Amino acid sequence: MSARNGSETGIALRSRSAAIATASRILEMCSVRVGSTLFGIPIPHILEIVGGATPQTVPLAPEFVGGLVHYRGDVLTTVSLRQLLGLSPTDSRCDILVLESSGGTFGLLVDSVGEVLTVSTADHEPNPSILDERRRALFAGTYKLKDGLLVMLDPERLDPIRLGGAAA
Amino acid sequence: MDELTREFLIESQEGLDRMERCLTDLEERPEDTELLGEIFRSVHTIKGTTGFLGFKRLEKLAHTGENLLGLLRDGKLLANQPIITGLLQLMDALRGILRTVESENHEGEGEDAVLIGRLKELQQPSSVTVPVGIAIESAQATPAESSPVPQLIHPARPAPPAIPDDDTAPAPHAAKTIVASESPKLTPEVVTEAAKSKPATAASDSTLRVDVVLLNRMMNLVGELVLTRNQILQATSLDPNLTLLSRRLDMVTADLRESVMKARMQPVSNVFSKFPRIIRDLSHSLHRKVRLVLEGQETELDKSLLEAIKDPLTHAVRNSLDHGIEPPEIREANGKDPEGTLKLRAYQESSYVIIEVSDDGAGIGVERVRDKAVEKGLIAADRAAQLSDRELLQLIFLPGFSTAAAITNVSGRGVGMDVVKTNVEKIGGKVEIDSRPGKGTTLRLRIPLTLAIVPALIVRCLNQSFALPQGALSELVHIPPERASSIEWMEGTPLYRLRGQLLPLIFLDRMLSPGLQLTGQLTEGGFTRDNFIAVLDADGRRFGLVVDGLADPEEIVVKPLSSVLKSIGLYSGATVLGSGDLALILDPGSIASRAGVGVRAQDSTETAIEEDEVDSMASRFLLVEAAERRAAVPLADVLRIERIPLSRIEYIGYRAVLNFEGQLLPVEDSGGVLSAAAGNPDAPLTVVVCRDGNRQVGIAVNNVLDVAAGNDLVEAGSNHRASGVTLLNDNVTGIVDLGAVPPLPFSADQNGVETMSQQVEWGSEALA
Repeated sequence: MSARNGSETGIALRSRSAAIATASRILEMCSVRVGSTLFGIPIPHILEIVGGATPQTVPLAPEFVGGLVHYRGDVLTTVSLRQLLGLSPTDSRCDILVLESSGGTFGLLVDSVGEVLTVSTADHEPNPSILDERRRALFAGTYKLKDGLLVMLDPERLDPIRLGGAAA
Repeated sequence: MDELTREFLIESQEGLDRMERCLTDLEERPEDTELLGEIFRSVHTIKGTTGFLGFKRLEKLAHTGENLLGLLRDGKLLANQPIITGLLQLMDALRGILRTVESENHEGEGEDAVLIGRLKELQQPSSVTVPVGIAIESAQATPAESSPVPQLIHPARPAPPAIPDDDTAPAPHAAKTIVASESPKLTPEVVTEAAKSKPATAASDSTLRVDVVLLNRMMNLVGELVLTRNQILQATSLDPNLTLLSRRLDMVTADLRESVMKARMQPVSNVFSKFPRIIRDLSHSLHRKVRLVLEGQETELDKSLLEAIKDPLTHAVRNSLDHGIEPPEIREANGKDPEGTLKLRAYQESSYVIIEVSDDGAGIGVERVRDKAVEKGLIAADRAAQLSDRELLQLIFLPGFSTAAAITNVSGRGVGMDVVKTNVEKIGGKVEIDSRPGKGTTLRLRIPLTLAIVPALIVRCLNQSFALPQGALSELVHIPPERASSIEWMEGTPLYRLRGQLLPLIFLDRMLSPGLQLTGQLTEGGFTRDNFIAVLDADGRRFGLVVDGLADPEEIVVKPLSSVLKSIGLYSGATVLGSGDLALILDPGSIASRAGVGVRAQDSTETAIEEDEVDSMASRFLLVEAAERRAAVPLADVLRIERIPLSRIEYIGYRAVLNFEGQLLPVEDSGGVLSAAAGNPDAPLTVVVCRDGNRQVGIAVNNVLDVAAGNDLVEAGSNHRASGVTLLNDNVTGIVDLGAVPPLPFSADQNGVETMSQQVEWGSEALA
């Protein structure tokens, strides 16, 4: 629950986790929920979590664009995970993970941000072959948790520039 | 590149900039030791550091220069033109090497022997000029007993009788006085120089070099802080304990913002200082005599803008010298001072900085501009013939335009003024030109104070805010639902008749959400809510953008968009509004392109309509309603429309008049509006103020209904034009005859008696 509280104030999570990630085969994942699925994003990629934002929609933008948010003096393009997964958009406020990829900074729009989970690389499995192509391109395998699956997301694959290139 | 070298490069550049300024000044005041000291220091610093860093070429050059400058500073040589030219060449050479160091991290290959030889040659007093050092002057003065000496001796003369022993003294004494009078002349200068150098170092101690990238980031963060502050102010407005705190936050933020903005500002002298040199070189190569006047050098401008105007300004100055200021012979023949004046002036005007480049040259002959433009095929001859002088002047901004008889290496290739215009417009500025033949030309560059902030109109559409840059906006039209029919449709294409001209309309919501069915929308059948047309002019393409609503104009800070959104093409950026909401900045040019609004076709129709407009002005009428009757007032005669309460109307006898700022306006009430409203002093009244010859007449009406074109009516059979009536909106409407309104009954100077008697008469009539 602490991570949830932290997200309200938007604390940077990056520095704390860097050491742990390299030291062992244990990874820290920020868990996010979209629809009924639990996703995980490696904490080193997360710059900040902005809670309860309402992105401004951009008419004529590609579908995966969740809109614009104001972030530290800049205007940040967000990617809607719901849209990417083909789910209908919700009206409720959502949380934004500010991610860094090789193409720059962007926001990932999720339904809600959960706690930070620790996973072992030993529990990692690649994408199952029966997964549809669209999802296979987005997901980077899954971690087997005690009580379910944590689908791994790779910020590089979610980068709007890459997604825009794929769509075109 | 290591930190030390970078520091050295920046410092040397600054030193050379300073040197450049001083050198051109030195030409006018060759004996100014302060200037010489400044130049000497610049070169000396370069020499000192280069030796340390191991730049041999630089060191050698600087060393030779220093030797020459040392002689100048010590008064052994007098700076003349060859010396100054030599020093300027030295400066150029040093700059060139510094550039190579900057880009390639080494000095590069090059032979400086010629320049060094030349500089050495200049050091020989006999070689080029007769050196007139102070030392020599004094040595010559004593034996020759030139005028100052006797004068100095004279006051000493009365002394001998008092002290007769010292009879032999006068001569050596006088000589001593001379020496004494010479030496203080030298010493104070040395002293002032030393004193001068102290504050200079103090100034450099109190300043810091800051990376522009860091400043930009600070600017962004301050913008962010401002928005957070706005939200805090809103959130705390109800809590009295926090109001005080948040107010203070408000003030501190405002101060901080201003300081950061200020940190980015630099005086225009940074750019102006290049011009003495440019003028010097150009006037030599063009054989012009030019005096440069710089004004308002302390005016400050954002650094990035200062960089951006450098080229346009240089173009403008070159043009002035090449085309504006005439050669001295011609100037003299025309009774002008053979030396032309070029003035660079900078000043601030609200949120703009104006930079004027004015010369007292030949001015621009509009006929020549027209002929050249036609000859080059930039404009059709018949169209050119209709242009006013002012419009003709604008032609020089067309790409490919040049009036220069011959192409010189300075200008005349037809690039220039259009470059000036496009560069200035790129940074949100404007270029204006004013020219009087024979008197000179003034070019005015209007530059916004900062680049990042753009005035924009916030419009609403699709329940979202969008920003429209004010630069492209020419007017706004409100269309309430009941006037839906004023939008005309041509096979599904909406058009609006704006003062007789068909304006293509683009619906922003339709463009932004194609295929979406919207409620209350405009269709050919009409619409149920208000619509607004923003009439835009994007690079000569005129169109109306239909939006749902208008919000306030706002000064917006432009934020870049990610490449995914930029590729949509319609948005030039995004901004955060005062309310904290985000708004996309619309790009009028792309909207026009996407909707297919053309330039060419529009141009031709526009000219046709312009002609029509002139013709039709005479037959256009203001349709008014007075006591349920309609009448037409020729639009050309209407000056303004006043809305006043009935109580403002006063009477002279039975004549209704309006006292308007001390002037009386007769108010015609043929419609009986005044009498109908009598007894209700607050009843609103509309008075159409018209011109009749050289007097003004007011017409009292209930309502102003419309502006419409009237058609002439002809009498059946005879085909005679009917006077006093016109066909307005398919109704025969009477035209108000302004001439029939009787003049006011007093012009006391001319016929006072008559007026008196008339007034008495009216008085009795009123009583009756």
